[in-house]
Amino acid sequence: MSTQDSRSILFTNTLPQQGFRLLELTPELEKLLTAEDAPTLELKSPSAALAKAVIDPSAQDYVNLCTATSTYRIRQVQSSNSIHVLRPSHGEISQADIKVVEDVETSLDLPNEAVTTIAKCSSTLELHVPPGGFSAIPFLEKSLRLYDRRDDDVSMDESGPLGAQEMRQVREQMCLDIPVSTAQCEQGWVDLCAFVDGGEEVAGWRPSARARLHVWKSLVEGAVLQGIDLEKQFLVGDLWKSVFDDEQDAPFPRALLDAVVRRICVEDERPALADEMKWASFDKTECTRWVGETWLAANAPSVSSAVGKSEFMRAWKDCLPESWREDVALSKLTDGCYKSPDPTTIYYVVESQREDTPKAAATGAAAAKAKNTRNWHELLKARR
Amino acid sequence: MPSVKLHPRPSIPANKATATAPSNPAHNPLPTLLQTPSGLALLELQGTINVPSGNEDEDIEEASGKIDPAAAFETPIGKLMFPDYSTLNPDDTKWMKRAYLYVGRYQRMTGEVKKLPRPIAILQKHPSEGEELEVVDIVRYKIFFKNRPEPVNNV
Repeated sequence: MSTQDSRSILFTNTLPQQGFRLLELTPELEKLLTAEDAPTLELKSPSAALAKAVIDPSAQDYVNLCTATSTYRIRQVQSSNSIHVLRPSHGEISQADIKVVEDVETSLDLPNEAVTTIAKCSSTLELHVPPGGFSAIPFLEKSLRLYDRRDDDVSMDESGPLGAQEMRQVREQMCLDIPVSTAQCEQGWVDLCAFVDGGEEVAGWRPSARARLHVWKSLVEGAVLQGIDLEKQFLVGDLWKSVFDDEQDAPFPRALLDAVVRRICVEDERPALADEMKWASFDKTECTRWVGETWLAANAPSVSSAVGKSEFMRAWKDCLPESWREDVALSKLTDGCYKSPDPTTIYYVVESQREDTPKAAATGAAAAKAKNTRNWHELLKARR
Repeated sequence: MPSVKLHPRPSIPANKATATAPSNPAHNPLPTLLQTPSGLALLELQGTINVPSGNEDEDIEEASGKIDPAAAFETPIGKLMFPDYSTLNPDDTKWMKRAYLYVGRYQRMTGEVKKLPRPIAILQKHPSEGEELEVVDIVRYKIFFKNRPEPVNNV
């Protein structure tokens, strides 16, 4: 027989078996994990409360694999085949047993010529990124408190500003429960102008569109009075002083000003979220867009509150420094961020309801009762 | 726990883990292509191999993580063969087209060695950190038997 000459490797089964999981890697993850300084990754699932509040129509319970910057959904794929994990044998085989598979006279070089199966897996874990990717914003919106105060409210910042360390802790604690990567959490945090304030109790806040617009208007006013050119580098501390005008009390927390400045400053100059916003400069185009959308979100958030287009254009211009006003045009707004119920009116469409994004939330009512277990071993076991 | 760590490397390096083994730890009888730092390899087959278990209720000790090697025992199933593989010419990959798995003496499965479309990370529980996981190794090939066993004469 042709196989006579080739080497035979004794194949055995080890008991007790070990527990392994097989995770199919994407090229990026392979590169990351085989690098010299491979980072520790995270498996994240939302907290029970967040899972209920932010429904994912594609899955009831889920675990996401997160690198520092990317998120992947883990999907357990069953196989009708069995996949064995082998390792070289340690040689705990009785010679008598070997007779079952081998003539006594053909002697194998034991244990050097033996492999053994130490685990059997009936599924593999595959990674997926849905079209549109993952965003922390829906989770942050549910986790942060809404800040919507006006001038006449008591200042929140009574106990003095919090230290950077303290703010960071609050943010990081919140992000632990959000099943996306740290970079995506931070991006969402910046996009929402989220901030930490210790007025009543230390908490994370997201300003309403109205509150954001108020900050913007105050800072433009202050900048004009103090002669700060927003398109050139300025000290955020100077801008903060300029918004006080005659009042003693701050009109809003300093952290909120920093958050707004961070959101609209020139992106390349944006410091890491953990670092202080010391210097900033604004990009006219980006800023103009943000102001227009913020105004619309604050004043015409739904079809029933739609405003006249000319009214919107006038108000938008009024919010901007004089030299920026010629830039105002509907075409400057993000695609899909507004709708016109008739030719003369306009209203704001929140991101989750824009047409290019899949109709999330609404379809997931059935999943609302989803039981949420955060032990991922149990989670995956339950699906076998 | 909201977030579980996945460590990129095994906490016990492969060479140390096998150093406690009673036999020669370095020797891996598989073709070089299938060898990994940890010694782990993947074998996929259609159906299941039924092995008599020593202890009925504790067949799969999934929860216990690391297993005392002294308590483990091996039951022979059959033989694995790569008939066209030659250690003299390990770079030639034609041998991958054919692999045999004998189950007992009289049944044989024919298969091949395949490059995985995507590499697979073998994960296990971190031996000391409870919930945490670690990547034991990354494998890029599998020994794959997609056909049913055929009866053969003893070799």
